[in-house]
Amino acid sequence: MGGYIGRRIAQGLIVIVAAITISFALANVLGNPVDVVAGYNLSPQQRAQLVHAYGYDKPIAERYVTYVSKVSHGDFGQSLRNDDPAAQVVLHALPYTAVLVLGAILTACAVAIPVAIHSVLRRESRLDRVLRRGLALVQGVPEFWLALLLVLLFSVTLHWLPSIGASGVQSLIMPVLALSLPLMSTIVRLVRSQLVDVLGMDFITALRAKGLTMREIVFHHAVRNSLAPFVTFLALQLGWLVGGTILVENVFSWPGIGSLMVSATQVRDLTVIEACVVLVATAYVVLNLLADLAIAAIDPRVRVAAR
Amino acid sequence: MSAHAVGVTTPPASRSALARSASRLRALPGSLVAGGALLAGFVLFGLLAPLVLGDPNKQDLNAAYARPGSPHHLLGADPLGRDVLAWVAGGVRVSLVVVVGVVALSALIGVVVGLVAGYAGGIVDATLMRIVDLQLAIPPILLFIAASAVISTTVLSLILLISAVMWVPYARLVRTQIQIERERSSVIAARLAGATRRRVLFAHLLPATSTLVLVLASLQAGFVVLWEAGLSFLGLGVQPPTTSLGYLIAQGREALGVAWWIIVIPGAVLALFVMSANLFGDGLRDYFGVDAELLEP
Repeated sequence: MGGYIGRRIAQGLIVIVAAITISFALANVLGNPVDVVAGYNLSPQQRAQLVHAYGYDKPIAERYVTYVSKVSHGDFGQSLRNDDPAAQVVLHALPYTAVLVLGAILTACAVAIPVAIHSVLRRESRLDRVLRRGLALVQGVPEFWLALLLVLLFSVTLHWLPSIGASGVQSLIMPVLALSLPLMSTIVRLVRSQLVDVLGMDFITALRAKGLTMREIVFHHAVRNSLAPFVTFLALQLGWLVGGTILVENVFSWPGIGSLMVSATQVRDLTVIEACVVLVATAYVVLNLLADLAIAAIDPRVRVAAR
Repeated sequence: MSAHAVGVTTPPASRSALARSASRLRALPGSLVAGGALLAGFVLFGLLAPLVLGDPNKQDLNAAYARPGSPHHLLGADPLGRDVLAWVAGGVRVSLVVVVGVVALSALIGVVVGLVAGYAGGIVDATLMRIVDLQLAIPPILLFIAASAVISTTVLSLILLISAVMWVPYARLVRTQIQIERERSSVIAARLAGATRRRVLFAHLLPATSTLVLVLASLQAGFVVLWEAGLSFLGLGVQPPTTSLGYLIAQGREALGVAWWIIVIPGAVLALFVMSANLFGDGLRDYFGVDAELLEP
């Protein structure tokens, strides 16, 4: 078990170091950071001054080492916009994005898991087919467009909900809905196939022989046994979910990572962009590590296999 | 009927060929046929409609906010009086170019890396698996946004940028498949018979992955369409005068209260485009009997 955790932590560290490298490469290899920071209207003297002030006249390898050692102490430098520490700017926005992602996952599960259970208990019933077809239809719909349609309906037409900002629970409703609707079909499919797999196992036959109804078996035994792969899946999906969140945040001017990142791009605030990439990757690694530990706690088979 | 009555066998060649192909069509999964038909429609629309509809960037301030159904603007006009239908057609065309470019390039890179990693193993393989971890850890859109802060986006740079992320699933899929295939007795026999490494790779291993790659490519197409539109929506994708569905939706956002059609129409086209690509991909997967779990991200 200890070796397993150690190995996972080592893999996570590699990912974080690679994210730091990528963020450095984006800023320093793809383009010239001085031009990015200052725009293109500088006299040669001004440019040289700026190059020297930011240390860009040093060799790239030296800059990389300096960058890594600073970042590993949590120092991403100052935001070029307002001199706040970049890490602090990002950490201020991160909880807003986390709330949206978490809200979307919980909402999607609250709908999808009952649908999946119903689907297994009443396979190919009319309700089952209608629900699954309907959710599959929403799957391909772009989240940001769905968000705009919700605004059109609930804000512009009905005046029920605020269309922008983060003020209280009611401003959460539309972003969470826009993010969770396209997610539901995937969760239904996953939970359903997990349940079907578990229901084919020998211990289920034993429970049937004992006289339990399908209902009891599904609720008391199958659901718990199909939980572990589901947690892994959710942790893996986080990265993709953040993608949709970034677009949806933009629709609602929600002050999370997405809005921060886009506004940082508009003013070419490189330090904040770098901090976003590294800190989001770190958050992902930590969450995945926690998911792995949670699974090892739920499911004794993982503990045995990991030994 | 009368031909039968006089005992003459006249096989109506064309009709039976038609009937045969019709029955063959019926044997295909419904989603493959429906998705394929829709996609073909989009290709035709993207190729032909811009020729008929003229310049999507033509501004006509007299027609600003023209409603759908107006005589010269069937699907309405945007705040600058640009025709929504012409712009949507142009947007579909650019989407198609980006999709074809990204799918071709990322499949090429991914297959080569997957082949090498699966066959050679060792350090190439270990590196590849860390890249896969990394790609899951950093949301691709974050990289796109970060990169677009540094480089200017054109159709070509967008294709390169998205491909730089999209090759990973192909590499992973091909790697896994190669590891299975190279242990097959036919492949081992070929090796023992003295086939060169190159021949084993290209004549025995590569063909075995082609179906999987085809199915994965068709399933990835929808993602590419979404990413192109999403980036353009943020103002980070292709820039006007290059047309894009995402850009038009962003324009509509400015006029949300007054002109619903600028958002609803391009978004619906976008959603339908993505759905038909996904439908086609699902159909292809079912047709070839590929295990869905193999293709999960």
